[in-house]
Amino acid sequence: MSTAPTSTNTPLVCWNCHERTVGTHFCSACGKLQQIPQSLDYFALFEMPKKLWIEMDGLEQKFLQLSWKLHPDNFVNATEMERELSLQRSSELNDAYRTLRDPVGRVEYLLGIEGERKEGEKKQQAPPELLEEVFELNESLDELREAKESGGDLTALRVSLEAARGNFQEKLVEVDGQLQSAARDWDAALTADSAARKKIMARLNELLNRRSYIRNLVTNVQKELL
Amino acid sequence: MGRIVGIDLGTTNSLVAYADSQTGQPKCIPGPYGDTLCPSVVSLDPDGSIIVGEPARRRLLTQPERTIYSVKRLMGRGPSDIQTELKLFPFRIDPSSKNVIRVVLGDKIFTPPEISAFILRELKNWAEAFFGEAVDRAVITVPAYFNDAQRQATKDAGKIAGLGVLRLVNEPTAAALAYGLHEKQRGKVAVYDLGGGTFDISILKLISTNDGDIYQVLSTNGDTHLGGDDIDNLLQAFVHELILQQDEIDFSPHGELAQELRKSLISLKHQLSEAETATLRFPLPNGSVFVREFTRGEFEALIRPIVDRTIVPLKQALADAQLKPADIEEVVLVGGTTRTPLVRRMVQEFFDRKPHTELNPDEVVALGAAVQANILDRGVNNMLLLDVTPLSLGIETYGGAVAKIIPRNSTIPASAQELYTTGVDNQTGIDIHVLQGERELAKDCRSLARFTLKVPPAPAGLQRIEVRFLIDANGILQVAAKDLRTGEGHSIEVQPSYGINDSEIERMLEESIEYAEQDFAERQLIEARTEAESILTATAKALANPQVAGLSAEEGAKIAASVAALQEAAAGSDYKLIRKRIDELNHATEHLAELLMNSAVSTALEGRKLAEV
Repeated sequence: MSTAPTSTNTPLVCWNCHERTVGTHFCSACGKLQQIPQSLDYFALFEMPKKLWIEMDGLEQKFLQLSWKLHPDNFVNATEMERELSLQRSSELNDAYRTLRDPVGRVEYLLGIEGERKEGEKKQQAPPELLEEVFELNESLDELREAKESGGDLTALRVSLEAARGNFQEKLVEVDGQLQSAARDWDAALTADSAARKKIMARLNELLNRRSYIRNLVTNVQKELL
Repeated sequence: MGRIVGIDLGTTNSLVAYADSQTGQPKCIPGPYGDTLCPSVVSLDPDGSIIVGEPARRRLLTQPERTIYSVKRLMGRGPSDIQTELKLFPFRIDPSSKNVIRVVLGDKIFTPPEISAFILRELKNWAEAFFGEAVDRAVITVPAYFNDAQRQATKDAGKIAGLGVLRLVNEPTAAALAYGLHEKQRGKVAVYDLGGGTFDISILKLISTNDGDIYQVLSTNGDTHLGGDDIDNLLQAFVHELILQQDEIDFSPHGELAQELRKSLISLKHQLSEAETATLRFPLPNGSVFVREFTRGEFEALIRPIVDRTIVPLKQALADAQLKPADIEEVVLVGGTTRTPLVRRMVQEFFDRKPHTELNPDEVVALGAAVQANILDRGVNNMLLLDVTPLSLGIETYGGAVAKIIPRNSTIPASAQELYTTGVDNQTGIDIHVLQGERELAKDCRSLARFTLKVPPAPAGLQRIEVRFLIDANGILQVAAKDLRTGEGHSIEVQPSYGINDSEIERMLEESIEYAEQDFAERQLIEARTEAESILTATAKALANPQVAGLSAEEGAKIAASVAALQEAAAGSDYKLIRKRIDELNHATEHLAELLMNSAVSTALEGRKLAEV
């Protein structure tokens, strides 16, 4: 582990020839690799509209093309500045590809850059319509833990927990479907007014929180059942 | 600038290779004995010089307390990590070891990277003798499943050896590079790499694009404590027990006798890869010979649990790549242990596909390292390697939990930003603990580093420090911090949990140069003398055996004369003469060596030298 130098962003002026640069990645005047422009989000990096449905083959093609250009292997014999830039740029490229490839990660990222991702205090709260089921589940989990400690019979508890896990896994599939449908709404509203788009984002945010809550439940049950 | 090479720094053997400047074809470079394998063994001569490779390996028997093997197992590890190793390997750890292990060799103390550096320097010498030119840069391979500290230690070893380490490449990925050139494969490839000390499995996708070929690693998994050594340990424990019961001889696990038994068992293991049965004949100190026939079936039943341990990582790697065994189009076997028929059968059954074994499994990793070295030296032209980080990177959160910020199998370089602020008024430091691993609690993960972000006193929540964690193309972590209020870089001092600092590396580099400055002839002389010493010891021991009665008077006299001649040569300083006398003595004792073996095995050992029997 080492400490990396921090570069400060001065977008649009080439660090090498001090010309105003046009290209996204390389200076249009001297051809040197440029710093990451602050305005460049992951969608822009891949030259894609901010849509949630992404054609995977196209995304991969673009990723591979940019990898050829930005990967540190290209800069082994270059100056320290260029090596450092290549490290920054290629790690950003890989981060972007990893994020956009994942349907859920992509929604989280979009809400993040739009300033609409709000986990807040709601994260630990059960969605109201699930309250009753969650309450029952937690009771069963407690019983199982107690039974484990006192060496009691676990069979019946296991069966009911397995059923609960199945139930919540179904709910997870359901949320994923709802997320997909909200994502389609977002893509269709690309040119809609900001109030309409904000509404869709609020819905996406709510679904993400719901999804992460249910997923935690499933993981917790799984842990106890092991 | 000097030449660039690819180095496989292995647990058992190390190799150095280069890519032909015309064809780009990689080749391994032979050492002074004509062999491309350099045993990863280092010995400190009583005169203070360092001996590496084959001559050091012989000293495992004659000077075990000055000689070390399998040092790779100690790389990047702390004293508390290696308790299992200490039971199985004769490592002598200095009690003063704190974060970094220090190993005792004779009267000196070394860190594992220093010992690895001796091996790297030896390979550098091989390459320089081969090219007649200086070698100053290298690509070094590491097990894909090595963590940050193990990688950093390997990079440090390169620095100490005076090599610019252009890149650390994962061993299975290197093997795929070597095979790719050889086979022009396309599609999804699994590389199953079972070596002396480590097991790696990597799933790759080979893609042709207009710009050239891309080797994209989809996932990797493994076990840094699983390999041929474990088979040897198991065999050794098994036979120890048999000897204990039959002859009531209990030997110390790390003594000379144990080393000799281990050597015989490794040879037995190799024989059972070729033949259905093999016989162990092991002379005991009480004059009797322990004889036991092993069938391959018995051997396989014994080692099956070890081979089965590769299945879990194998399945995990496939699951992470979101693939099924049937999706894999090519399977490549790497590492000496894949010569075992059981391993080949198991892999073939798992994938329902005959694995590739065309390239020498000992050489293929070094060949791939040479390919990558050539790519880096000339700039990317038609090949690009996209590798992944084997373990998730996380930071400790409240209650000792770990928040994963870079998931395992992310393409590297990869990064993550975290925003930090103060929780109470006038707080002057924010503690950050970086970890690697898949477990949920910090205490179950590998600690990489701890550091404190120092901030001036201010109301709680006012400070906004962004910390960027970046895993570079070598799989090594870098950390940078930025004060978001000022936009300025924020200085941090990172204290690695395991590792050596830069000034120590400087000192080690200087010391290592001192060792290296003995000239070539002197080194040759030391090595020749070592070899002479070892064959003289072996001869004296053989002559004490009752089987000597089978020698003719003429043969006896010839041996005596050759011994005297070698002793005289070894007292002088002409290494070529010593080598000549060694050959003569080897020749004179051929019949004696045969006599020591029963006729049944003597055919298998034909042409063996006494010191090898």
